Amino acid sequence: MTARVVMKLRVEAARLATPGVLHLTLVHASRPELPAWEPGAHVDLRLPDGRIRQYSLCGDPQDRRTYQIAIKREDAGRGASRWAHDALVEGAVAHVSAPRNNFPIREAARHVFVLGGIGVTPGLPMARSLAAEGADVAVHFCARSAADAPLLAELSAACGDRLSTWFSAEGRRFDPRAIGPYSEGACLYVCGPQRLLDAVRDAADALGWPETSIRAEAFQATLDENFKPEPFEAKLASTGATLHVPADRSLLEVLRDHGVTMPSSCELGVCGSCVCGYRDGVVIHRDAVISVADRQDRIAPCVSRARVSVTLDL
Amino acid sequence: MVEAFAHAAGSIARHVPGGAVGFKGVLLHIHVAPAASFEMEELAEAQCVAGRGIVGDRYYEGSGTYSPKPDTREVTLIEQEALDALARNDPPLQAGPIALAPGDHRRNLTVRGVPLNHLVGRRFRVGDVILRGGRLNFPCKYLEELLGLPVYLPLYNRSGLNCGIERGGVIRPGDAIELLDDDGA
Ligand code: FES
Repeated sequence: MTARVVMKLRVEAARLATPGVLHLTLVHASRPELPAWEPGAHVDLRLPDGRIRQYSLCGDPQDRRTYQIAIKREDAGRGASRWAHDALVEGAVAHVSAPRNNFPIREAARHVFVLGGIGVTPGLPMARSLAAEGADVAVHFCARSAADAPLLAELSAACGDRLSTWFSAEGRRFDPRAIGPYSEGACLYVCGPQRLLDAVRDAADALGWPETSIRAEAFQATLDENFKPEPFEAKLASTGATLHVPADRSLLEVLRDHGVTMPSSCELGVCGSCVCGYRDGVVIHRDAVISVADRQDRIAPCVSRARVSVTLDL
Repeated sequence: MVEAFAHAAGSIARHVPGGAVGFKGVLLHIHVAPAASFEMEELAEAQCVAGRGIVGDRYYEGSGTYSPKPDTREVTLIEQEALDALARNDPPLQAGPIALAPGDHRRNLTVRGVPLNHLVGRRFRVGDVILRGGRLNFPCKYLEELLGLPVYLPLYNRSGLNCGIERGGVIRPGDAIELLDDDGA
């Protein structure tokens, strides 16, 4: 997993795309050009307290001067989106990493997108570039209503009659069977809330879509909801220092508190940035990135923990 | 952090006479990064603090990338000559020339006319500030990943010098760089 440079970007424009979605245009504070990216890529936004949130780039990759992201306000969340909505006004500075793409466009004979709400963000540049190439594309965009559908105008301009909209409050609830039967070489991209992902997977399965033809954008690792974190001790092999990791803090946070700054990105156990070695200890692996074979000596400290104690190769 | 002349490299070199004397170099650029992997920012002047680093830099703040070995890196320097060589693909260790934008090399001071590889275990001045050469910098894979450029091999043996600050003060681009009479060796 590659490290990426963190840039100081300035908010050039901030507008509400819908009542709950903030659409930001970001430019570099001193350079005329930003690092290039491909449709589907995301950037990491760094919060003042060190937390990191990932947002898909929803602008045009040809435009090297600006990045565009859209942030949905989640009042029930842990405060990251609320901070962004309040702090990222025009002229504000945002610390943003160079882009990375976990969700690239695949080689396919036909591309079907199902985008739910804010899930439109990676889908828009992907669909736009495919449509511009004249590829076979169909896009389904689901939201409560047209007024709640972020970037609807942009998506509709990019896709024309390849776009079908599904607005539940207007009497058109999305029917996942609209994706149609699988055809040879087709690829299905699904971005949106977990409910939508599950519904589309079930329908796809029934319609003969093989598992390998489906790409779902999920930054959320499949964490076990019943997991009860317990405190443990982490020892640093180099210095012998022993750090106490309380039940309500991650190993990564505790390392950071003690000046051990490690690369990190998703902090959800999906990107692999923070992975390091360990010895001596029973580790409770909760990431979705380290292979089973590597689990005997690799740990993702952002989500994984240990029983009683572990010695880290740090 | 270990004191530059206490570092394994610096402490040995300190007692071996060297031949690179009489050079007169110049400070071209000053860069700092507020934290590991943050882009470097150029400064028109910088406050160097003895025993700490450059105010506003990751090493001064103690927030640089963690290295388990005792190290000396209050200030890091790189030769403009090495960057020029990369830009003309000399030696041709990679597909083509590598143009590093200012500060992308992630060293604090870019200098010209200073034989950094000869300054391990030596004292020298940058303007009014006195630096101690602690160890040669070594290119790291981290930098390569961060930049997405194959800089590891071409920077080998000319990746610059990690120094301690003996006497602090303010430095600015244009400041002269000279070897000092060694009083403590
Ligand atoms: S930060 Fe992404 S796996 Fe730990």
